[in-house]
Amino acid sequence: MLTALVLAPAVAAIVIALIPSKRAEVHLPLGIALSIVPLGLAGYLFWVFEPMPGYQHAVDAVWYEPWGIGWTLGVDGISLPMVVLTALLVPIALGASTSISKRTKEFVVFTLLLEAGMMGAFVALDMFLFFVFFEAILIPMYFIIGIWGGERRIYASIKFFIYTALGSALMLAAIIGLAFSYTSEFGVTSFALADLMEVTLDQGTERWFFAAFALAFAIKVPLFPLHTWLPDAHVEAPTAGSVLLAAVLLKLGTYGLLRFNLALFPEASVDAVPIMGTIAVIGIIYGAAVAIVQPDLKKLVAYSSVSHLGFIVLGTFALTSGGLQGAVIQNVNHGLTTGALFLLVGMLYDRRHTKAIADFGGLQKVMPVFAGFFLFMTFASIGLPGLNGFVGEFLVLVGSYATLPVLAIIASLGVVLAAIYLLWAYERVFTGEPDKEENKVLVDLSLREIGLLAPIAILVLVIGLFPAVLLDKIGPSTEAVLDHIESSTDYQTPDPGRLDDVYTAGGDS
Amino acid sequence: MQTPDVNWLAIAPDLALALAAAIILLVEVQWKPRARILGLIAAGSLVVSSGLAVVQWVFAADAVAAGTVSELSAFSGMILMDGYAIFGRFALLVVTAMGIASGWQFFGALGRRCAEGLALVLLATTGFSIMVSSNNLIMLFLGLEVGSIALYVLAGLTREDKKADEAAIKYFLMGSFASAIFVYGVALIYAGTRQLTILGIGDFLGSFIVGSPGVILIGIGLVIVGLGFKVSAAPFHTWAPDVYQGAPAGIVGYLAGVAKIAGFAAMARILLTAVSDFDWSFLPVIAGLAVLSMLLGSILALVQSDVRRMLAYSGVAHAGFILTGIAGFSVDGILFYLAVYAVQLVGAFAVVAAVSGPSGSSSDISLYRGLSRRSPVLAGSLTVLLLGMAGLPLTSGFVAKFGVFADAWFNGHEWLVVVAVLASVIAFAFYLRIVVIMYMEDDDAAPIAVPGLVRWVLGIAVLATLIWGILPGSLLNIVADALPL
Repeated sequence: MLTALVLAPAVAAIVIALIPSKRAEVHLPLGIALSIVPLGLAGYLFWVFEPMPGYQHAVDAVWYEPWGIGWTLGVDGISLPMVVLTALLVPIALGASTSISKRTKEFVVFTLLLEAGMMGAFVALDMFLFFVFFEAILIPMYFIIGIWGGERRIYASIKFFIYTALGSALMLAAIIGLAFSYTSEFGVTSFALADLMEVTLDQGTERWFFAAFALAFAIKVPLFPLHTWLPDAHVEAPTAGSVLLAAVLLKLGTYGLLRFNLALFPEASVDAVPIMGTIAVIGIIYGAAVAIVQPDLKKLVAYSSVSHLGFIVLGTFALTSGGLQGAVIQNVNHGLTTGALFLLVGMLYDRRHTKAIADFGGLQKVMPVFAGFFLFMTFASIGLPGLNGFVGEFLVLVGSYATLPVLAIIASLGVVLAAIYLLWAYERVFTGEPDKEENKVLVDLSLREIGLLAPIAILVLVIGLFPAVLLDKIGPSTEAVLDHIESSTDYQTPDPGRLDDVYTAGGDS
Repeated sequence: MQTPDVNWLAIAPDLALALAAAIILLVEVQWKPRARILGLIAAGSLVVSSGLAVVQWVFAADAVAAGTVSELSAFSGMILMDGYAIFGRFALLVVTAMGIASGWQFFGALGRRCAEGLALVLLATTGFSIMVSSNNLIMLFLGLEVGSIALYVLAGLTREDKKADEAAIKYFLMGSFASAIFVYGVALIYAGTRQLTILGIGDFLGSFIVGSPGVILIGIGLVIVGLGFKVSAAPFHTWAPDVYQGAPAGIVGYLAGVAKIAGFAAMARILLTAVSDFDWSFLPVIAGLAVLSMLLGSILALVQSDVRRMLAYSGVAHAGFILTGIAGFSVDGILFYLAVYAVQLVGAFAVVAAVSGPSGSSSDISLYRGLSRRSPVLAGSLTVLLLGMAGLPLTSGFVAKFGVFADAWFNGHEWLVVVAVLASVIAFAFYLRIVVIMYMEDDDAAPIAVPGLVRWVLGIAVLATLIWGILPGSLLNIVADALPL
C-alpha cells in the first residue's frame, strides 16, 4: 500500500517522460490526472487509519541485508497528515502551472519525482532510506527552481542545494555513527528507526548526534539564523515550486525534528528544550518583523513562513501533548494556508508580472473573488478562530505555556505581528480605489483557479471547525512520542501537559 | 619433452589480450585493413578475455568452497587467481571496452596509427590486469610498468598536437619517477622482511616481532607514494590536470579509469593484506593523504573553467574518498567504489569527447552552454553521471561513498568521515556548475550528433549508475565474494 503510494508518482513521472516532447499539450493534463492516483491512495489511507499509536500499513522488506538497510515504511498519526497534504497539493500545484511555457514535460516529470521523494521521506522508517529520500528530493527541486525560476534562479537554486546538502551531510555521518553504536551494542547492523531507538549512547555522543540531526532539519525548516536560503529560493521559484517548497518540503524539517530527534535522542532533546525553544521564538519574532517591511508580496509570504514554522518547532520542543499535537496540525495548516497564499501570489503575478506591493492597490474592486480568497487565507494564517490556524497556534501556545511560559508569551506576540503584516499587506494591495491603469483591467479568478483554491479553503474551514477529525488521528501518536521520552529519560511532562489536562484546560478546542 | 606444470588459467585472460595486441600489429603490417576490422579483433579479444575471467571466477569460487585455495596460486606464487584479482580484472576489461567504444571516433581518425593505439590499449590493460592479480611485488612492478608505459605513449598518440605531447612527457617523467620510488619501497620492504610475495610478507609480519620496523615503515611509505602518483592522490596529483586536459579526448576516460582501478587495487592489496598485521603506525599518512586529497581536490575543482581539468581534480577528491576506505579496511567498499567510479568516469569522458569533437582539444565549460537543447542525450547522461560522482542518493556513487564512510567510521575514524562528508558537499558545487550550464543557460549553437557506440557506452554507464544505486545488492553481493586471499 505505502509502496504503491511512493512508487505511483515515480511511475507517473516515467510515463510522462516516455511521451514525446512534441505532444506538449498532453503532458500537463496527464500529469494532473496521474497525480490523482496518489491522492486517492492517501485519501484511502486517511479513511482507514485507526486512531492508535504505532505504525500502520507497515512494509518491511530487506534492501541489502549485510548493511542492515531495508525498505521499511509505515504511517502513523504524525506522518499521515503530511502524506495527505502532499498528495493534495501536487495536483493543485500542477494545475496552477499552466503558465509554464517552456519544457512542460520536464516540469511535470520533476514535480512528480519530487512527490515520490516527499512521500518516501514521510513514510520511511529506516534511516538509510529516509536519508535517500531526504537528499534525493533536492535534485528535482533544484531543477524546478533552476530552470523555471525567476531572474536570479541559478543563484537561488545552488544556494538552496548547497545549504540543505551541507546539513544533511553531517546527518549522514550521525546516521552512520548511530548504526555503528547499534552494531557494537547488539552485534548486528541495522538502520531501522525502531532498532536505533534502542541504542544507549553516552551523553556527549548523543548530543553530537542530536546536533547533527537538528542542524540538517533546522536548515530545512529553516530556523533562524539558517533561513537565508529560503527567501531567495521562494522568490525565484515558479509558483508550483514555491507551493511545494513551503507546504511540504519545509515540513520535512519540522517533521524530522519531531519524528527523529525526539525519538532517537530523547535525553539530548530534553536538554535542548530551552535552546530549541529560544531559537524557535527568535524565528517567530524575526520572521514576522522582517515580513512587515517587505516590499515584495512573495517575500512577505516567505518570511511569514519563517515565523509560522517557528511555532511548529516551539510546539515540538514544548514536549507536551498540546505542543506536539499543535505542531503536527500546524504542519498541515501552514501547508494549506501558505500554499494557498503562494498560489494566490502566483495568480496575481501571472496577470500583472510584478509582485511588488506598491504596484497594486484597490484590487478588491476589480477582482472581488480573488480578494475574497486572499482575505480568507490571510485570516486563516493569522489564526482567526473558526479557521484552521487558530487550532494549531492555540494548541502550540497552550502546550508550550506549560513548560516554557516566558517563550510562549513572547511567541504570542508573533500572532499579533502576523495580523499586522498580513492585514497591512491586504490593505495596501486590495483596499481603496484602483489608481493604476494596469490594475483596472485585471481579470478575476477563472473557474480553474477557483477550482484549485476551493479544496484548500474547504479544508481550512473543516479543520478550523472540526479539528477533532485530525486531532483524533494525531493524538495517539504524539502521546506515544511523549511516552517514549518519559520512559527513557527522567523527564516528566508537567501538569497540565498531557492530553487529558489540555482538553480540560483548553476548553473545546 | 616435458612441459612444466603451469596453471595457464591464471593468466589466460591476460594472454588473450596480449595475443590480440600482437595480432593487430601483424595484421596491420601485412594487410593494412580498415580500422573497423582491427576494432573487431580488439573487441573479440575483450570478449574472450572476459569469458575466461568468468571461468576463473567460477573456478575460484569452487576452490574456495572446496577449501583448495592453494590451486588459486600460480607460477610459484607469483600470480593469484583470487576473487579480488578477478574482480579487478573484470572491471579493467569493462572500462577498456567502454573506453575503446567511446573513443572509436578518435581511433578511426588515427589512420594508419589506429593499430598502434588499439595494441597499446590492450597492452596497458594486460599490464594492469597482471598488476591487480600479482602476489609478488616484483611481478606487480612489472605489470605496473607495462601498463604505465603503454599509457604514456597513448597520451601522446596524436604527435601533431603540442598539448598532447606536453601531457605525454609530463606524464612520463612524473610517472617514471613514481615507479622508481615504488621500486625503492619494495626493496626496503624486502630488506626488512626477506619476503617478496604479498602473502609471505603478511605471514612474516603476522608471526614475527620485527626488530627494526623503521626500514619496513619507510618502505611502505615509499610504496604509498609511488602508487599515490598513479591514482593521483594529493599531493602527488600535479600531473593529472595537465594530462587529462592535454591527452586526446577519446582516450582520457580509459587512461584515468584503468590507472585508478589498478593503482588502488594494488595499494589496497598491499596495505590490507601484506602489512595489515603490522602495527598501523602509517595510518596517519593514509588519513593525511585522504584529507588532503578530498579537500584539495574539491576546492581546486571549484575554480576550474575546463571540464577535463575539473574532472581531474574531482578525481583527486575521489582518490581521497577511496583512501578513506583504505583507512577503514574496507576491501569490498574500495572495489565497489572503483568499479562505480571508473564506469562513471569513462561515461563522463565519452560526453566530453563528443562535445569537444574527435580532434577538438578544448573542453572549456562554455562549450556546454545549453547542451540540454543541443543534445538531450549527452546532457542527460552527463547529469546522471555527475550526480553519481557527487554521490547523490539513488545513484551508485552514494552507495559507494556510504560503504567506505561507514567502514571508516566502524574502524574508529569518525573525524575522517566528517571531513569526507563536508568535502562531498563542496564537491556538489562544481558538479552542479556543469549541470547549471547545460540546463539553465541557453545557447543557439548547432546540435551535436552522438555516434551510436557512444550512445551505447552512455546507456551502460547511466544504467549501471542507477541500478547499482537503487539495488546496490546487485553488485555488492558480487564484491562480497571478491576478497583477497
